[in-house]
Amino acid sequence: MKISHQWLTRYLELNKSSREIEDALTLIGFEVEGIEKTGLQPLKNVKVGGVVSINLHPQADRLSVCEVDVGGEGENRQIVCGAKNFNIGDRVAVALPGAELPGGIKIKKSKLRGITSKGMMCSPKELGLGDDHDGLLILDAHSEIGLPINEVLPHGDLVFDIEVTPNRPDCLSYIGIARELGAYFNQTFSCPEVNTGSSKHEPMNNLIESVHVDTEENCPHYRAYSIQGVKIAPSPDWLQLLLKSVGLRTINNVVDITNFVLHELGHPLHAFDAKKIRGQELKVRLAREGEKIITLDDKERELQPDMVVIADKERPLVIGGIMGSIDAEVDDETTDIVLEAAYFNPINIRRTSRALGLSSDSSYRYERGVDPRGAEYAALRAIDLIQEIAGGDLISSPHVVGGPSIIEREIEITPEFVRRSLGFNVENKIIIETLEKLQLNVDVHETDEGSERWIVGIPSFRLDLERRVDLVEEILRIYGTDKIPAATVLTPGLIREDDSISVFLNDTSDYLVGQDFNECSNYSTRNEEELLQWYSHTDASNLSLDNPLTSDQSHLRSSLIPGLLDSLKLNQSRGNKPSRLFECGRVFKEREGRVWELVSVAFIIVQTPNPETWLVREEPDFHRAQNNVRRILKFAGVTPLDEEFAPLEGKDAWQVGHTATTGDFLNGYEIEVGLVSLPMLRNWDIAGTVLAGDIYLQPDFLKRDRERPYYHAFSQFPPTTKDLAILVDSNALAGKVKLDLEKITHDCVGDEFELESVSVFDLYEGKELPQGKKSLAFSLVFRSLERTLTDDEVNRVFDAIQQNISENTDYKIRS
Amino acid sequence: MMEAKLNTILEEAQESVKNLSSRAEFEAFKARLMGPRGSFTECGKGIGKLPKEERPIIGKHINVVKKQLEILLKQALERIEDTELTQSLGADIDPTLPSPDIGAGTHHILSQVRREICSILRKVGFTVAEGPELDTEFYCFDALNTPPEHPARDAQDTYYLPPSFKSGNLTKREDERYVLRPHTSTVQVRTLLTEKPPLRIISPGRCFRRDTMDATHSANFAQIEGLYVDKNVTVKDLKAILEYFIRSLLGKKARMRFRPHFFPYTEPSFEVDFYSAHLEKVGAEWIEVMGCGMVDPSLFEAVDYDPNEWTGYAFGMGVERIAMILYGVDDVRYFYQNDLRFLQQFS
Repeated sequence: MKISHQWLTRYLELNKSSREIEDALTLIGFEVEGIEKTGLQPLKNVKVGGVVSINLHPQADRLSVCEVDVGGEGENRQIVCGAKNFNIGDRVAVALPGAELPGGIKIKKSKLRGITSKGMMCSPKELGLGDDHDGLLILDAHSEIGLPINEVLPHGDLVFDIEVTPNRPDCLSYIGIARELGAYFNQTFSCPEVNTGSSKHEPMNNLIESVHVDTEENCPHYRAYSIQGVKIAPSPDWLQLLLKSVGLRTINNVVDITNFVLHELGHPLHAFDAKKIRGQELKVRLAREGEKIITLDDKERELQPDMVVIADKERPLVIGGIMGSIDAEVDDETTDIVLEAAYFNPINIRRTSRALGLSSDSSYRYERGVDPRGAEYAALRAIDLIQEIAGGDLISSPHVVGGPSIIEREIEITPEFVRRSLGFNVENKIIIETLEKLQLNVDVHETDEGSERWIVGIPSFRLDLERRVDLVEEILRIYGTDKIPAATVLTPGLIREDDSISVFLNDTSDYLVGQDFNECSNYSTRNEEELLQWYSHTDASNLSLDNPLTSDQSHLRSSLIPGLLDSLKLNQSRGNKPSRLFECGRVFKEREGRVWELVSVAFIIVQTPNPETWLVREEPDFHRAQNNVRRILKFAGVTPLDEEFAPLEGKDAWQVGHTATTGDFLNGYEIEVGLVSLPMLRNWDIAGTVLAGDIYLQPDFLKRDRERPYYHAFSQFPPTTKDLAILVDSNALAGKVKLDLEKITHDCVGDEFELESVSVFDLYEGKELPQGKKSLAFSLVFRSLERTLTDDEVNRVFDAIQQNISENTDYKIRS
Repeated sequence: MMEAKLNTILEEAQESVKNLSSRAEFEAFKARLMGPRGSFTECGKGIGKLPKEERPIIGKHINVVKKQLEILLKQALERIEDTELTQSLGADIDPTLPSPDIGAGTHHILSQVRREICSILRKVGFTVAEGPELDTEFYCFDALNTPPEHPARDAQDTYYLPPSFKSGNLTKREDERYVLRPHTSTVQVRTLLTEKPPLRIISPGRCFRRDTMDATHSANFAQIEGLYVDKNVTVKDLKAILEYFIRSLLGKKARMRFRPHFFPYTEPSFEVDFYSAHLEKVGAEWIEVMGCGMVDPSLFEAVDYDPNEWTGYAFGMGVERIAMILYGVDDVRYFYQNDLRFLQQFS
């Protein structure tokens, strides 16, 4: 909201610098977003001069040498000037040596092309009066030579652009801001006095016969005043100046006065041309379906049945509390006026304003809540001004429907509560003074224990004050937040650890960064087409937002990988050399109509990261990516066995035959790892092949209790290792063969000693092997907790194992 | 006689061993000396022919020479092996060649800033709390003193899920809608409901605002909120923690001020500006960094805490904003573009 310094000084003597006012406004809660200086600022050493002579400069065609009388100096001043728009006898503004002009120009005695110049005649721009720099500012011909320029030109103004928080509708007015600043600066402020008590004339007929309110809940209070015989004209200069200073258009005296009062008191008013009200009645009612109105901004608007209008017998004339129509506009022909002052339901105003996309100074105030008791005062204030400026008579008494809601609020508070909340000492007296400066009346009661109990009366314009804590804020605001004493942080130890989701993601990203991955951050919303490409089996409608802003951000992301592919693509196209990217975040998985929010980590590895090096590195492969996945899962306390990974099929995102999966997110976690499918990469227009890992976990799974590992005894004796090569079908999974082998070995070892591990150490698919077969070589490690094993006992078992395999499985032992 | 012979063998061996340059030469030399027909072996055989009384003396001498020869051979072998290994290491390296490996990994700048903030606050006893990004109106608004007609709940500003949306792991209280959370205060409410005071938590996380992206607005953004609930928490405590925080983040000379403001879930409420010499290039004297306030009693009521017993403060800040201030980044979109030239600037 814009606040003019000049306007403000009508209510508050304000002998403060702009800096002090800015700081004060900021510290009491009205952030100053900008300060604009308008008009002529106070200038020293700039005087009215009279041009006595003009001669051409001997060395420069474009310059002239002038004699100027600036008064009281006995002789004229010689000034060199480049302007052409003046004549002998003109009155001009002369900046004398020592003057500092708004643009920062300092005037000194100087020589211009060899001719001494003892000052400068100024253009409007040089005086800070707009952008006109084409010639000198020519003053009124009667301006007295020698007077300081500030005495002949109107004063400039300072306009503060301040932010008023939504809880302070009372401060959407000059009175409100004057009250606040007065409290802060400890100065009294004055409200305009109202002289119009009632009609000065004999009761006459009202200009309208009746006012009805059909929708009381939306308009609990409505007043209509009749004023006869006004003379519509442009507003007087002072009024125009004030309105223009805060960027308001001036229309005519009556309309300007209603606007003036709106800004002065924060209460909207509306003036009707009485002769345009058909049927001599006003009705506050809900709009009819399809009803139309052309508002003062010249737009036709179709109304909805929940919108409030002020109508005459035939048509709506005003969208209640928001904007009038051109049909009852006050114009140059107007002589009789009906002035409305009312209270409208804030929620209804806000809804209507939103629905119509129409906001006005009036609706802005009504939707935040005007003083329920303010209507009459605002009306009388406006009538005073109308009578003073536009003439006219208030006839009869107003039509009044309803009345201000009875708002009597009191808050009980003790000074101890205030001090306890603040955490530092402020004397009772100071607290009471602070509250009273804000027009909050404090009634002091003694309690039985000898302490004080205060009843604080809340005026109707401060409906934001409801509880004790609200008063604590008022006290602190005016007392000064800068007076809160410094203190050290005291922190009693609390037994609580970081959320395990956060710990997991930190561990994971530390690991991936250590593996030379770059962390990315992409949006959580993606488009539908991509979602369907990526997860063709997903019902995209389950992941769609109800009110997306754009179609490319319309659905929740189901995986982090598409975003990473975007990042990869962007970097490739910008000539960077991306090779490993990852992201941590939340994803949303749909299954059977329900959507699960999951914690996710995903990474991508470009398979040929940077072939343009002098030494070519081995390409990363599936097993590298899988290893990354295992490490990450370990941070989540999961260590899947080799055989728990299964080839992944039937998902468009992944290349069949080169991708594996394990887990099920419904049970805690799920991963997919392998090659991003080639068609998908083509869609993204990405060069090369890309390995990826996609890990998602239920938040609750991460939060499960995890046991501290417990010590297991381990053998102090050497192991015995036996190698065994087995011929299996080419498509057999090593993990399955290993499981079979493990089971057989366990059976054969019995309780004698321990099978420590079974692991694949070689895979061979040479031509000499039978068609459709491959050879898997396993290493079996045996050990005992109690002794060194003998060759005999291990060989016995090993023989038994081989025999068992030959007899009970399809596997062939390769000798 | 024999003694002289032994000495000669030793002396010769000491000389010849220097010329051995390969394993093959070494083996041949060793055989010539110590093999079955080696000169030393032959010499040893002669001991039987000596008179009885000389045998112990010569025997002793043989052993001495044998030891010395063995040492000689061992040293020679080590020297040859070293040479061979050194040769297998290849040509000398050029330490000035560029690394053929990919560049170093990096934490995203937003993660770095988030972690820095969390680490400052962990030192004074805050621990991280997490919650869902997709939450219900109850946690986003109702519990936070934001009534249904409040503008913050407008579909214009907040992303809603369709009424038909069904969540797998998030339950609703009644028939409220699901929304993408506009702030992480949701986590404060959830923590207040599931844990017991006193509480001191920070909730970092992604939030959403239905906004068109430009240099200063992002529809996805990261926030960190702090909450402290205990008995007798005061405005002075709030100022103390934020002063500690701002000085930890921006240096001991950083100053701050409280500007009264309005938030639905705190009373009194403040915006916090800070001033730091290193920020002068940003152009403004006081820079707004966060909002804060004393927990509104109605919030305590909403989570069934007795507002006469419990007090607290809360504060919240945007991670992007802090990152922009700390690192001078002038466009919020860069955080979500993931250009490596940007990401790698902050490692």
